[in-house]
Amino acid sequence: MKWNKTITLLMAGTMAISTMTGCGAKENLTETTQTSAVSQSPGTNEESGEGEKIVDLEVWNTNIGFLEVKKDGPLYNLYKDMFGVGIIQPYVEWNGGTTYQEQLNLKIAAGEMPDMFLPVNGMEVDLAKNGALLDLTDILPEKAPHLWESIPQESWDVIRSYDPSGEGRIYMIPTVIDYPLMCGLIRQDWLDKLGLSIPETQEEFVEVLRAFKNQDPNGNGQTDEVPTGGRQEARWMDHLFAMYGIAIWEGYPQWDVYDGEMTYAGVTPNMKDALLFIRGLYEEGLIDAETLLNDKAGWEGKINSDRVGVYYHWAQSSYEYATTMFNSIGVKPEWVVLPPVSAAGYKGFYTEKKVKGIQWVIKNTTDQEKIDACMKVLDAYGNPDLREQFFLGVVGEHSAMVDGKLKRLPDDKKTMENLVFQPGNDISTVESIVALLESVKSEDIAWAFDQSIANVKSMPQYGKIIAGDGIPNSVYDGYPDIMNRTLYVEYASKIITGEYPIDKFDEFVDKWYASGGEAVTRAAQEWYAKTQN
Amino acid sequence: MAKKNKAAANEIKLPKSRTSLIHNIKKYWPYYLMVLPGVIFFLVFKYIPMLGSVIAFQDYSVFKGIFDSTWVGLKHFKALLTYPDFRRIFSNTLILGLCKTVLIFPIPVILSLMLNEVRNLKLKKAIQTAVYIPYFLSWVIVGGLIFDIFGVGGLFNNIRNFFGLNTLLAMQKESWFRPIYVVSSIWKDAGWGTVVYLAAISGIDLSLYESAAIDGASRLKRMRYITFPLLVPTILTLFLLSIGSFLELGFEQVFNLLTPMTYSVGDVFDTYVYRVGIQQAQYSFTTAVGLFQSTIGLVLVVTFNKLANKFSDDGGLW
Amino acid sequence: MRESVKDRIFQGALTFLLMILGGIALVPLLTVIAQSFSSKAASDMNIINLWPVGFTLDSWKYILSDVGLWRAFFITIISTVIGTALALTVTALMAYPLSKENFKLNHIIMLFVIVTMIFKAPVVPYFLTLKGLGLFNNPLVLILPHILSAYNLAIMRTFFKQFPAEVEEAAMIDGCGYFQILYKIIIPSSKAVLTTVGLFYAVTIWNQFQHPLMFIQKTELFPLQLKIRQLINGGSDIANIAAVANVNYTEGTLSAAAVVFAIIPIIAVYPWLQKYFAKGAMLGSVKG
Repeated sequence: MKWNKTITLLMAGTMAISTMTGCGAKENLTETTQTSAVSQSPGTNEESGEGEKIVDLEVWNTNIGFLEVKKDGPLYNLYKDMFGVGIIQPYVEWNGGTTYQEQLNLKIAAGEMPDMFLPVNGMEVDLAKNGALLDLTDILPEKAPHLWESIPQESWDVIRSYDPSGEGRIYMIPTVIDYPLMCGLIRQDWLDKLGLSIPETQEEFVEVLRAFKNQDPNGNGQTDEVPTGGRQEARWMDHLFAMYGIAIWEGYPQWDVYDGEMTYAGVTPNMKDALLFIRGLYEEGLIDAETLLNDKAGWEGKINSDRVGVYYHWAQSSYEYATTMFNSIGVKPEWVVLPPVSAAGYKGFYTEKKVKGIQWVIKNTTDQEKIDACMKVLDAYGNPDLREQFFLGVVGEHSAMVDGKLKRLPDDKKTMENLVFQPGNDISTVESIVALLESVKSEDIAWAFDQSIANVKSMPQYGKIIAGDGIPNSVYDGYPDIMNRTLYVEYASKIITGEYPIDKFDEFVDKWYASGGEAVTRAAQEWYAKTQN
Repeated sequence: MAKKNKAAANEIKLPKSRTSLIHNIKKYWPYYLMVLPGVIFFLVFKYIPMLGSVIAFQDYSVFKGIFDSTWVGLKHFKALLTYPDFRRIFSNTLILGLCKTVLIFPIPVILSLMLNEVRNLKLKKAIQTAVYIPYFLSWVIVGGLIFDIFGVGGLFNNIRNFFGLNTLLAMQKESWFRPIYVVSSIWKDAGWGTVVYLAAISGIDLSLYESAAIDGASRLKRMRYITFPLLVPTILTLFLLSIGSFLELGFEQVFNLLTPMTYSVGDVFDTYVYRVGIQQAQYSFTTAVGLFQSTIGLVLVVTFNKLANKFSDDGGLW
Repeated sequence: MRESVKDRIFQGALTFLLMILGGIALVPLLTVIAQSFSSKAASDMNIINLWPVGFTLDSWKYILSDVGLWRAFFITIISTVIGTALALTVTALMAYPLSKENFKLNHIIMLFVIVTMIFKAPVVPYFLTLKGLGLFNNPLVLILPHILSAYNLAIMRTFFKQFPAEVEEAAMIDGCGYFQILYKIIIPSSKAVLTTVGLFYAVTIWNQFQHPLMFIQKTELFPLQLKIRQLINGGSDIANIAAVANVNYTEGTLSAAAVVFAIIPIIAVYPWLQKYFAKGAMLGSVKG
């Protein structure tokens, strides 16, 4: 009987609620359309103290879990004070860029493109093709001179090659860097302990790996050392490919000139030799047996538990690994850059790209106020004098006074708003990165930061700027599997694990060309020819 | 659509004239009132957005919208069928779909029948709760766990090493992918799958068992001749519901178990669509693949529904 | 009732087998619990099995001290309770006529329903439709899209079909209308299926992720699963320089704690529901 009553009550209650929400939905409908109408020109009629209009912009970019940036919140106010424009950023799940891209497309489909945003996966060319982006060619030098000057002309030239109409107009703001970002990092303290020096030839490199494996450099009495390795999909092990002069970026083969022709590095003879070499390391147990299964956490866990001798990542970030290891197990590692090693008959190098990617595009609009607001933002973003302030964020939230100096606090997703603009990371030079590292460095962990600083400073000599620097993703249009390197990863993985004989590589090359590689290569070569003029 | 409705109409003998429908409405008007909220729900939340499936025949662009995007006919369907690895994906999907239907689907039934035999009520409750817990862990978590179990130093290799076998990384072996798919499915979802069957068993008239026991029927016989037959309508319903998504294998699961080394056996429509369609925002293509899968699903449901209606009176979904 | 020796052995063997299976089924949860109480070093070394290594409460402290998580928790509880009640109402209302052969549109509507299970709306039109209904950044989006599912409807219909017609006929003679029969006779004697379907709805709403991900961008409206994702969103390599916090948790241990936090309530509710699955529950109430 009790059940009887509860059910009747629930039913009656839900009936009431459903009629209520029925009306509610309607009200909400008008309400949201109103608010969205407002948010399309948010805050334009609002006046600040001096009677000057504050224009609000909706800006989207990467947020890996920090708080949204709300109107009149601390970060909103900071930006307003810095450059007189209000910045609003809703929380959009990043998820490696996939969810972000989906959400962005949904917003575009609903006719509510953000005013300024980070495009992903090569969508920027399609956006430009559809006239969705603001042409920056003329207004940028005039209204955002700081940004115009802080990015080198060669990089702007690359951006001109993105214009789908072929007229060389500028629609995008790139992220740039003036040194090779990534490298192999080796445990100098292990080398010292074993009486070895930094390997210079491939034979020496293999000998070092053998020593790491067999001579217990971490001194725990177990042969649990993993001389080197990487992560699933043959990523983050570029130092092994680099020995064969392969242009590669986080495991993604790049475009470079081989035999006088612009070629995808994944299908070159260099790649075949590299795979054969790595396969040998795998067989001998000199790279992690789980290299092709490790996720980010798994591989970093191994590095941070004092087991890995050489890993591949950003030169600037070695301090993160070093402090993490020190904090959790009390070991002070010394991570130094492993200069590129050359295999016999090849010239090894670390892949260098001046244009790392596209950071911002602006929504096409005729609203002069909006355009001016965007230019104000971009000018400030490119202003070297404001870099530190951008980096430190809101005092009391992102940074705090330590010994009379403002210091950036460790990231805390619970309390910090997402720092939308990070020009120090986006427009980076050796100097700017060193400055940031110096700014974060504190006394107790100075040793780790000094390693990173030395590593970054040593990098410029090890890079080679590849011919495919800044190639737009649009060359892959219509061939998503080539862009995702699906076929490459399958064959490379199976060759490394010994599942496939090395001869299968030739089959892969044929298949790759037949399944779209040919068209993609043509597009890449056309693009290259265009940039050479 | 019209054609399908007609076919269905023939089969289920709709009223021949409109008057009989009006008569039916007059006599049973409360029924019509009762289904109204549900029908509105399906129209608003399912059918209206479903009309958007026309983008499968367009080169849909988010800038232009449905009304201004260019029509391209069957271009995306052709692209799917001429995809170099189409056969591989299709056969992988079929094989895993068969595994799902033949090996995975019956397990909850068996598990429910077994659970029904446990006499200690507290123990029964405890086991029931235990077996249904894995359902609540996401595939990301369970997938990670499976990678650990089969990793170097994981349970699987510890056992192998104990018996003097060498370490085997099963997650990167083609031959292990399907068994792992099946076992992990059962591990995660079979317990949860018993909920409906246990509810059905709870409705069985106890006096049936009593009289059978008096006749000297053994436990096994009672299970075979009383419990199981009374479960058949429920089994049929669930079977028909699952056959419609025959080609949808649960993206999360496959995606979280797949490695490039097992593409050749584990790359299915759902992972392919994710890679090509969703990551690259190819909405028209994604929709075309979805329509392809759904059409096959519909054919299967209609066929099996007919069979069900023949096999047991009114056993079908419609 | 006397049991033969054979029957006892049969039952004993089954019980034993089930206990083993139950134990195996507990492995994932135990592992996740163990991880949530383990130290950063242990998590990095990947040496945690069924028992915490380097026991610490740090992950739990981090998770539970987040105000946003508790807000999300209550949003999820409220939407689950309201949503389940609403869903049961709508589903029962629709399933009842569909279980009747004298309802002329029975078969057409069933087909109409099943089609929605097989053909799914593409994501963009779906988004635009719901946005057009005002459901963007609206908490109702946590409830309304889940108040009816073809799957649950079909299950409930199958159960209703097996209901003895004589009871209804008797009630009809007593002067009951169709609504009264549904409320007073069918519903009270269908505890098992209502509990089952209610549980399915509750779990769907509790675990929902896709809808809030698509439709909610205001953090104060986040339900639990989305909040958890925000808190432990890892796996991306983002080259930003920042100080390293000296903490005793990893993404892994935090996510383990968050996962346990999110599933405890829904697991806890199940033993309480089990009495509605007791043998003969339905029959008893029909007789009484």
